[in-house]
Amino acid sequence: MASIDIANIQKSYGSHPVLHDVDLAIRDGEFVVLVGPSGCGKSTLLRMIAGLESVTAGEIRIAGKRVNELAPKDRDIAMVFQSYALYPHMSVARNMSYSLRLRKTPKGKILQVVAGAAAKLGLEPLLERRPRALSGGQRQRVAMGRAIVRQPKAFLFDEPLSNLDARLREQMRAEIKKLHKDLGATSIYVTHDQIEAMTLADRIVAMNAGVVQQVGSPLDLYDRPANLFVAGFIGSPGMNFFEGRYHAGERPRLEIAGGVGIPLETPAPIAEGDFTTLGIRPEHVVLAGHGPETLLANVDLVEPTGFGIILHLSLGGSSFKAFTHERSFLTASGTVPVRFPDHSLHFFGQDGKRI
Amino acid sequence: MEYTLRRKGLPAIRPPLMKRIADASAPYLYTAPALILIVTVMLVPLVLGVSYAFRDVQLLNPFSGAFIGLGHFRALAEDEAFFRSLRNTLWWTGASVLLQFTFGLILALLLDKPFRGRALAQALVFLPWAVPSFLAGLNWAWLFNPVVGPVPHWLYAIGIMSQPANILSDPQLAMWGPIVANIWWGIPFFAITLLAALQAIPRDLYEAASIDGAGPVQRFLSITLPFLAPTIAITILLRTVWISNFADLIVVMTGGGPADRTQIVASYIFTQAFKRLDFGYASAVALVLLALLLAYSLLIVILRQWLISKD
Repeated sequence: MASIDIANIQKSYGSHPVLHDVDLAIRDGEFVVLVGPSGCGKSTLLRMIAGLESVTAGEIRIAGKRVNELAPKDRDIAMVFQSYALYPHMSVARNMSYSLRLRKTPKGKILQVVAGAAAKLGLEPLLERRPRALSGGQRQRVAMGRAIVRQPKAFLFDEPLSNLDARLREQMRAEIKKLHKDLGATSIYVTHDQIEAMTLADRIVAMNAGVVQQVGSPLDLYDRPANLFVAGFIGSPGMNFFEGRYHAGERPRLEIAGGVGIPLETPAPIAEGDFTTLGIRPEHVVLAGHGPETLLANVDLVEPTGFGIILHLSLGGSSFKAFTHERSFLTASGTVPVRFPDHSLHFFGQDGKRI
Repeated sequence: MEYTLRRKGLPAIRPPLMKRIADASAPYLYTAPALILIVTVMLVPLVLGVSYAFRDVQLLNPFSGAFIGLGHFRALAEDEAFFRSLRNTLWWTGASVLLQFTFGLILALLLDKPFRGRALAQALVFLPWAVPSFLAGLNWAWLFNPVVGPVPHWLYAIGIMSQPANILSDPQLAMWGPIVANIWWGIPFFAITLLAALQAIPRDLYEAASIDGAGPVQRFLSITLPFLAPTIAITILLRTVWISNFADLIVVMTGGGPADRTQIVASYIFTQAFKRLDFGYASAVALVLLALLLAYSLLIVILRQWLISKD
């Protein structure tokens, strides 16, 4: 186990840059999730840490030691691949013990370690099987077993659950979390699934277009997204945005398209007449109103999820969503009163940054 | 097919006889065109050829053609030239297949790594395969000829030969001439099939192995080789059968000489049939070769089944 320091990392393919100046310090035993849409460079960053991609500029240190020039096998890390990458001609036990056999570990020790890992992952009855005789979830477990037998300095996960169905993904997610609690090993986990990121991470690194957008605890990113990208990426259904012009004064309001004014309870830290983007999560929209300034939103669509109801609404042509547990909205039609409570509003400047 | 309909309280109804005959023969009528074609173009010549082996068929003797039973085979059992050609076949096939495979594998491994102009290199590598075998044979015969070809002079220059002579006329070395030509001609087959198999290996297996601690040699042994094994087995089996039947290069380059030193069974059949015009004897030799190759193929198939079941 070790800390991992990433300093000013850059990566380009030819003249095409894919990672710009990434800085990240991962503490010993921390579970860090790199999250972002596909093509944002998160997998490239992980593969650079593993040594599968060269570093164009900057420095990667594992346990304080520069590893830029080290081969993957000398970095003492283990990786779980999206495709599992199990050796198809080896049994489960031999798959798991391959790295130990390469290091000429004594036979007795190998047996003991493999048995220990198999017990931890529930693989004991499958040890003599070939990977093709296993289900997706079992293969996933073998891939994790292969990673833990070596007790490496760090675990790298490259979208390990993407090939599983939703139910199994949920189950494996919990198992990975439990495993991390048991082993306490430094882990870096790449995913495009914000739920995985939220549930697993000690810290989330949100990335977009090769640039780190925000680093913080899951709730940091949920409660105080640093910019429009993070605000829209974290949370499901995603945050609603209204673009408009701010009017300060007696009754501060945001004038949005269609001449609708969204009343604000307290003045926002924005100059009079400035354009701004207001964000509010669907679950924070209050479906009730009082007073003469109550906004009435058109109901466009009602999506029941069982757990709650997603209402697709619109205000003067700007559509947005609201999430409610109130079953009476199942039959909502026409207009409903809506209110945007001040404490759950997010303001973003024209550069997309949080105000 | 059972067309009897059973209904409650009604007597069974049988369709008319003609309909039943038509129904029963329908599948045979559908397959008949293909079957007739196969029988006429494959079975008839095969049976005819096999029957020659038991008859005295000599093209220049109008009174030949009589049934002589196992006469040809009795003669064959005492034919020194035949046994020498059998030994030569082993030598020719073994050396050709082994070296074609070795160089083909090396070439495939080189072409598997990306480099500039790889597409062009892959196309060029395939070229010898497209050269007609007779042309290849003539070309190599000229290359080995000290009057017009450079090879003997090169061998002399680097000290392998004491004088620039034609190896095709040296009884000790003659077999190497067609073997070298055959290697040149057959490498593309192995290179292309092995390259296709190499490119089907998932790249992340190599990445997983390199993270697990495997060096290049260990990656080759524990990933590349197991993945290539089925392709290697099937290509070597195929090439062995083809090459042991492949007389073109020998007929063109040496004609079996000098003194039958390069005569393989296939070229011996050719010599018997088209030079001595003894079709009966040639058929008998061909039949023996067929039996040997069948036995070999069967052995490989059994071996393969055993390996699969062991898996």
